[in-house]
Amino acid sequence: MRVLRIPLGEWVDGGVDRLQSGLSWLFDGISSAVTGMYDGIDAVLSAPEPLLFAGILAVAAWWLRGLLAGGLAFAGFAVIDSVELWDEAMSTLSLVLVATVVTLLIAVPLGIWASRSKAVSAVIRPVLDFMQTMPAMVYLIPGIIFFGVGVVPGIIATIVFALPPGVRMTELGIRQVDKELVEAAEAFGTAPRDTLVRVQLPLALPTIMAGVNQVIMLGLSMVVIAGMVGGGGLGGAVYRAIGNVDIGLGFEAGVSIVILAMYLDRMTGALGRQVSPLGRRALARAGAGAGGSRIWNHRPQPVVAVVGAVVLALVAGGMGVFGGTTSAEAGGAGDVGRGKKISVGYIPWDEGIASTFLWKELLERRGFEVETRQLEAGALYTGLAGGQIDFQTDSWLPVTHAQYWDKYRDKLEDKGSWYGPTSLELSVPAYVKGVDSLADLKGRAGEFKGRIVGIEPSAGMMGILKDKVLKEYGLEGEYDIVDGSTPGMLAELKRAYDKKEPIVTTLWSPHWAYSAYDLRKLEDPKGTWGTGDGIHTLARKGFSAQNPLVGEWLQDFEMTEEQLTGLEERIQETGKGKEQEAVRAWLKDNPGLADTWTPVPAEASNVSQSHRSG
Amino acid sequence: MSRLQAEHLYKVFGRRPDEAVGRLENGSGRDELRAEGATAAVIDASFSVEPGQIFVVMGLSGSGKSTLLRMLNGLLEPTAGRVLFDGRDLTALGARGLREVRASRISMVFQHFALFPHRSVLENAAYGLAVQGVARAERERRATEALELAGLAGWEQSWPDELSGGMQQRVGLARALATDADLLLMDESFSALDPLIRRDMQDQLLELQKRLKKTIVFITHDLNEAMRLGDRIAVMRDGRIVQLGTAEDILLRPADDYVASFIQDVDRSRVLTASAVMAEPRSGDADGCGCETVAPGTLVADVCAVSARVPHPVAVRDASGDVVGVVPQSRLVGFLGDERAEPVPCDAPARRLPAQQAQQAQQGVRAGA
Repeated sequence: MRVLRIPLGEWVDGGVDRLQSGLSWLFDGISSAVTGMYDGIDAVLSAPEPLLFAGILAVAAWWLRGLLAGGLAFAGFAVIDSVELWDEAMSTLSLVLVATVVTLLIAVPLGIWASRSKAVSAVIRPVLDFMQTMPAMVYLIPGIIFFGVGVVPGIIATIVFALPPGVRMTELGIRQVDKELVEAAEAFGTAPRDTLVRVQLPLALPTIMAGVNQVIMLGLSMVVIAGMVGGGGLGGAVYRAIGNVDIGLGFEAGVSIVILAMYLDRMTGALGRQVSPLGRRALARAGAGAGGSRIWNHRPQPVVAVVGAVVLALVAGGMGVFGGTTSAEAGGAGDVGRGKKISVGYIPWDEGIASTFLWKELLERRGFEVETRQLEAGALYTGLAGGQIDFQTDSWLPVTHAQYWDKYRDKLEDKGSWYGPTSLELSVPAYVKGVDSLADLKGRAGEFKGRIVGIEPSAGMMGILKDKVLKEYGLEGEYDIVDGSTPGMLAELKRAYDKKEPIVTTLWSPHWAYSAYDLRKLEDPKGTWGTGDGIHTLARKGFSAQNPLVGEWLQDFEMTEEQLTGLEERIQETGKGKEQEAVRAWLKDNPGLADTWTPVPAEASNVSQSHRSG
Repeated sequence: MSRLQAEHLYKVFGRRPDEAVGRLENGSGRDELRAEGATAAVIDASFSVEPGQIFVVMGLSGSGKSTLLRMLNGLLEPTAGRVLFDGRDLTALGARGLREVRASRISMVFQHFALFPHRSVLENAAYGLAVQGVARAERERRATEALELAGLAGWEQSWPDELSGGMQQRVGLARALATDADLLLMDESFSALDPLIRRDMQDQLLELQKRLKKTIVFITHDLNEAMRLGDRIAVMRDGRIVQLGTAEDILLRPADDYVASFIQDVDRSRVLTASAVMAEPRSGDADGCGCETVAPGTLVADVCAVSARVPHPVAVRDASGDVVGVVPQSRLVGFLGDERAEPVPCDAPARRLPAQQAQQAQQGVRAGA
């Protein structure tokens, strides 16, 4: 019996398309407003010297919680600075602040409304449930369609996720206020709005502040997800780390998030007590009773704290002004970009990182201003099709990324393959004897626990594996394919490899795993994986027309396997966060390559001039 | 003109309240309505309160007294009927008009004090004035005066949670007095207090009332309190006013068994007065002697005290000094025992009473030990 299939997905799909075309002005407006807020806050937060700003934050902690808290806060931020994640931390802080402010602007009025009307409360509740439990990735991709890639969908996702506790706690706080007090206010002729301001909100404030605290915490927990859609910051660092199974970086970024979270949590908690009249009462009473350990709990007078913070801020601002002039670089004869901005997106795969930072360096040498954005694959293609990203260098065509190409081909330019052929395969560690070909897997499921460790179910190769490879070799039913993630697969491979356990994983070439471990690619005599892909560069539609020279360079770009693995190795050696340094060193060792890839025609300056005036 | 008049007030909660009122008018019972999802909280309540009176509404929980009170200042809108305040129909006022009346003319004291915990005692007392927009200096002056009236001078800067229950309710009272409203609604205002404090507060309220002459509607479930405070008392049961009258009316002539069962526990000697127990003066009873006398309004308990000191029936003199009646001891004893018959002369010679025997026996034991 076949049950009616409700085309829910199609409706949503159609709805998204219609919203995108019909309300694009709205989304653009929201996007630029949020971006503006984010940029503003980020500029302020990242302007001062890290340790000075840490000092300001520590003074705030000292004022709100005492000397010990101030000291710990300073130590925590110093740790973030010492692991070289300061800028990321400030981006994350800005993202969380913007998200929190916007969330509260929506949540508090909504909560107040819900507290005054049962109908509103009844309508809002399931919506809030939906928002809170719907997996973020589900609405992140539409978020990119609406708002473009970058911090905005990350902030929007954070707002969606963090809104419910804000609304709920506001509603709860107001409803919790003693009915008799509200009645007393009414009995003395207080108008409803005054009742809210004079009685309900002040008394609900502790609960509302707990909600604010929740909003901030949930916002911080969303930064990793935001990192997957180009939100950058610590989330981006975590995402990059798990993508490369870089446990060290992952931990450092994770600890930085924890430090931020603890700071914000303790500060909002203390602020809640400071702001609410009831909290102040409680503090005053506790203070009257407390005796010893005076120094640790000593808190400066607000005036002292403000003066201290202002002095530090002035010093910080001054240093920022005087220290901020070092970034300008001489353009020279090869300056054809003249500061033109180009945005490059990449998936944190090794060849993607290598080629992206190679191009960043090459283009910057030619006078362009290049911004790189690390994204999840779906987000990358959506951003490219939407025009927020100019090009990306890591598209596996015609097979692996066929689904994205098919969906967005009208909005993309294919600048050709720069590396190939690639191959998809199943691999086993070399210590597994007697398995050389896919056919050899048959009958040995017990050895491998009946599992093939796969990657993201959305990946192109997973579809091929399930639909063709298993069928052709008669492995269906014998092996389960474990859906998961690339980092998960790599972690499992590392675990099994270290214990010399048999394991079959999905893998592809080029991949650093082949240099890190001794692995054997299983032969595919029936050719089920298809001929290899080329790694293509894709640009947004119209990019080449606007940047003919760059278009040409990309079109002509090619790398040999030797070059690519050499560059990848160099990047791996140099370490995270220094990709561009590695590229520079590598280019130094390979003189002449840069000019080969980005030749400057004689009339180049004229071209860019005329282009600009046109 | 009465200060406050309630005319056929109904309050029905739940479904189709207007229809329910119609059915109640046609004699339907409360239980019938409840089966249909409508709760009749107040049914056909009519009364009037004169200026300077304390009007007490007495009833058990669920009798509708609190609902009735809240219709008097418009916190609840009557389903049917009218409330006239100084002749003005409150039920016809809009929300804004009602708020104005509540801010300046009618104030309220609550059962659980309902003090704002985030405001100091002074700010609490000044709340009603702040709502009216009275300037800070002026409202603090008036609030300080009100606190002084309520016996809380010197506590202005304290916080509500630092005060005892009785003191908190004094703040509540001061808050109600500060606005200089003519009508005070008091909703079980002393019920949450300890018995001794409650008595204190009742005394203080009566004391204040002598000076301020407010009009007060006081809700209580305690008949003793109702009798002590009330110039007139309405007894409510199941949403209806079952009896309306003075304390004496209710004690001496309960309207039905329900009220009668209620008044059993009342300390009648502290409610009824000499005029309720006195007999016709017989010539020469106490005329002309210089012994203590009482007024018709003296409580029976006080008459007992006088009687213990006077060797003959106590004379009751009115304001002009004329003897209007006498209270023999047998009447007082009979009153305490709820016996109205006159003593019957005894037909046997005096014997030792059992009590005397017992006393002697006890003394014997003590001597032996």
